[in-house]
Amino acid sequence: MKPTVVPPYLLARIVEAGDRFDHAARAARVGLDEWRSFAGVRGRPLEAPRTARPTRASGPDRRVSDAGGGDALPGRRVRSEGDPATGDVAVDEAWDGLGATYAFFADAFGRDSIDGAGLPLEATVHYRRDYDNAFWDGERMVFGDGDGEVFGRFTASLSVIGHELAHGVTQYTTALEYQGQSGALNEHVSDVLGALVEQHAAGQTADEATWLIGAGLFTDAVQGVALRSLAAPGTAYDDDVLGRDPQPAHLDDYVVTDEDAGGVHLNSGIPNKAFHLVATALGGRAWERAGRIWWDAITAGTVTPTTDFAGFAAATLEAATARYGVDSDEARAVTDGWAGVGLPLVGA
Amino acid sequence: MLVIVSRTGGFAGLTTTWRVDVDAEPDTESWLALLDALPWADAPHDRPPQPDRFVWLVRVEARPRREVRLPDQQVTGPWRTLVDRVTSVGDAERRAPGTPGA
Repeated sequence: MKPTVVPPYLLARIVEAGDRFDHAARAARVGLDEWRSFAGVRGRPLEAPRTARPTRASGPDRRVSDAGGGDALPGRRVRSEGDPATGDVAVDEAWDGLGATYAFFADAFGRDSIDGAGLPLEATVHYRRDYDNAFWDGERMVFGDGDGEVFGRFTASLSVIGHELAHGVTQYTTALEYQGQSGALNEHVSDVLGALVEQHAAGQTADEATWLIGAGLFTDAVQGVALRSLAAPGTAYDDDVLGRDPQPAHLDDYVVTDEDAGGVHLNSGIPNKAFHLVATALGGRAWERAGRIWWDAITAGTVTPTTDFAGFAAATLEAATARYGVDSDEARAVTDGWAGVGLPLVGA
Repeated sequence: MLVIVSRTGGFAGLTTTWRVDVDAEPDTESWLALLDALPWADAPHDRPPQPDRFVWLVRVEARPRREVRLPDQQVTGPWRTLVDRVTSVGDAERRAPGTPGA
């Protein structure tokens, strides 16, 4: 049946209003899926015609700048919303990645940009020379080109772009302090959202997904598939220059260190594995239930800047119970997921 | 006298360490002058961390032992000069935080 009565951009807006109209949003989602299958546009963001008045989610406002190999930020603006591709791979990858991340948050959670109020999405590429890194500076994502020996350019991975923008989301939601367990949770939220951005863009279910962060960053010289794995922390790489992926997958192996702000990029493996367990237990598209629970947890106000692993786990169970019920499959999956990484939850 | 610069954090969370024995360098005097001129007691440290940005640890193995921790955005001026010099002269060694060594 060809759905023609309600146009897709109106269905998209109803989906976005899911917080207020849950039943209508579910019905609209079914309609949208049917339209997508019919029109063959799975995974692409649906935009209102230009004459329509913009409402909650009006589309991304992307701004990509070029630091030209130096360290002055933001650098020179080289691509703005509506501009065509520039031919500079890093610029165009950043631009595409910003768009895919915007589409994910709008589609999955009805969120208009990282602050929920249409904040412009900013990225700077070609930061410094041989710079093996990407970061969020509080206002924009910043990407290096890598050294060409171990790392290539950091815009080459959509999960990295999603991860960086998600640090902005955290800034506007939980503001988890970037050290110790709260810092590892900050990193964890970015890895989860980064992975989901990639899965959403590819239309993958939890079973089809790689659950890798930063696949495509390494050169061919490195023995490794990615920087991190949510499915199997500690297995993403094993290389004679880099060493072995140091992430733990269980609380028993929590890394105590002064480096990396207390190991925020390492101990994130523990909650990452918990999320993977929840998502694969529930099946289907991970952002629809597991991701929804995590999103509810970080927007409910129960997670604060100093929340630790146990507090975060409790917040996810509270969110699952609120949305799906005490004896639901979802609440049970959340309990089992955290138990699987050494964080058993009491009560429901 | 050993100068040790460690770059920690970053997206990958790995630590890379460079070491220079300034006594073995041809321009030892210039190294010593640079080290003496650095504001070790007043190293900037007050800005909030930026997610996935590097944090640098600079140590001098001498008497007195000197050590500062600097977020990358505050490695400027003479600190930048020192870090650039050590990382261009010393050999890089990467490892994960929490593993022994360095």
